[in-house]
Amino acid sequence: MRILFYTGKGGVGKSTMAAAAAWQLSQRHRVLIVSLDPAHNLGDLFGVDLRGKRKRFRDNLYLEEVDLKKLARAYLKREVTVLSETYHYLQVLNLDSYFSVLQYSPGIEEYALLTSIEKTIREDSRFDYILFDTPPTGLTLRFLALPQVTLTWIERLTAIRRQILKKRHTIQKIRGTADAEGKHKEIVLQYREDDDDILKRLKSLHADYVALNGILQGPRCGVVLVFNPDLLSLRESERLVEGLGELKLPLRLLIQNKVAADNGATADRTARVLRGKVAPGVPLQRVALRQSLPEEDTAGLFSLPEDLTEHLAFTDGADV
Amino acid sequence: MRSSFLRYCRDIANGLGTAQRERLAALTCIEERELENIFGLLLLGSFVGIPAPPTFLAVELLPFMEKELRVLHQRAEDAPDMLAEMMGILGVDG
Repeated sequence: MRILFYTGKGGVGKSTMAAAAAWQLSQRHRVLIVSLDPAHNLGDLFGVDLRGKRKRFRDNLYLEEVDLKKLARAYLKREVTVLSETYHYLQVLNLDSYFSVLQYSPGIEEYALLTSIEKTIREDSRFDYILFDTPPTGLTLRFLALPQVTLTWIERLTAIRRQILKKRHTIQKIRGTADAEGKHKEIVLQYREDDDDILKRLKSLHADYVALNGILQGPRCGVVLVFNPDLLSLRESERLVEGLGELKLPLRLLIQNKVAADNGATADRTARVLRGKVAPGVPLQRVALRQSLPEEDTAGLFSLPEDLTEHLAFTDGADV
Repeated sequence: MRSSFLRYCRDIANGLGTAQRERLAALTCIEERELENIFGLLLLGSFVGIPAPPTFLAVELLPFMEKELRVLHQRAEDAPDMLAEMMGILGVDG
């Protein structure tokens, strides 16, 4: 299975390129294309209604639009369930209504995105290719950075937690296990690492994120950067390349979209600048600007004359 | 008579031992409580304006954080009387 993220500035044609590549790949492989952009247009591109459901477009091609709000709600609901299970002696009536405000807190959306990516990668191993059409640069970089940021936090918190447990253990050895007063307390303190719920949760989160990070940085995963022959798109692409470099995410392909006769010179210049920024060996592909787009038939939107699949079989020999 | 005197001595010895252990444990207790306070602050610090980990991490661990929340609350209550706190730690009873 190969995983590709189509990234770039808003409006450069990420969705179109991803859709065209998915269409072409599906001639020979099983392909799933997932739109992570809150402003979805995958459904429009293929002329189908994708709200909330995955659809089979043809034998080998499945389409999906991720509903961020729904994901965030589902996630919070799960947490509230754990909360009420843990504090069964408390009244947790209508707690969800208090928690619903959390879906607007920073980070929840990125987390919901990341969870959905992780779930897709884990559950849909029957596909040969999974293509993700990502939201604009800022959000994309934030959620791609999330596993690493989170890992740092988890490691720090785990270290503190271990210290707390060590101290508790010392106290327990000096004083003996819970005294008469302690037995009446509702909280039973955990002394051992295997018993502590927080440490257990931290450990399992750590394992999840290490695995996800491994997949994202691994040989089966890659980022495709789409850009246009203009200065703004070039600048944003440069930032994206830098960001990807910091996160150690592998860039696999550059696609320069909307190249025409009258912007040829700019196209050459921007392509040269960007190629100077990326690792040697990353191929560049050009896609011509189409002057007229079909109004009725959507087939013309995703079937492009250029072969967008030629660089998508990574050469690392990491086929699964 | 003799046995009650021995018991009396034993009780005194036990009492001294317990007091000594308590003294040792008390300091570790304070350290442990402070660590719990820091843990809670780090994880839930966004509520008081401290740079926080990704929100979901806080939400993820929130169900198990009752003790830490109580410690945080207690520390916030004790905060204005730091002098008493320090005297307590140093064992100055006045």
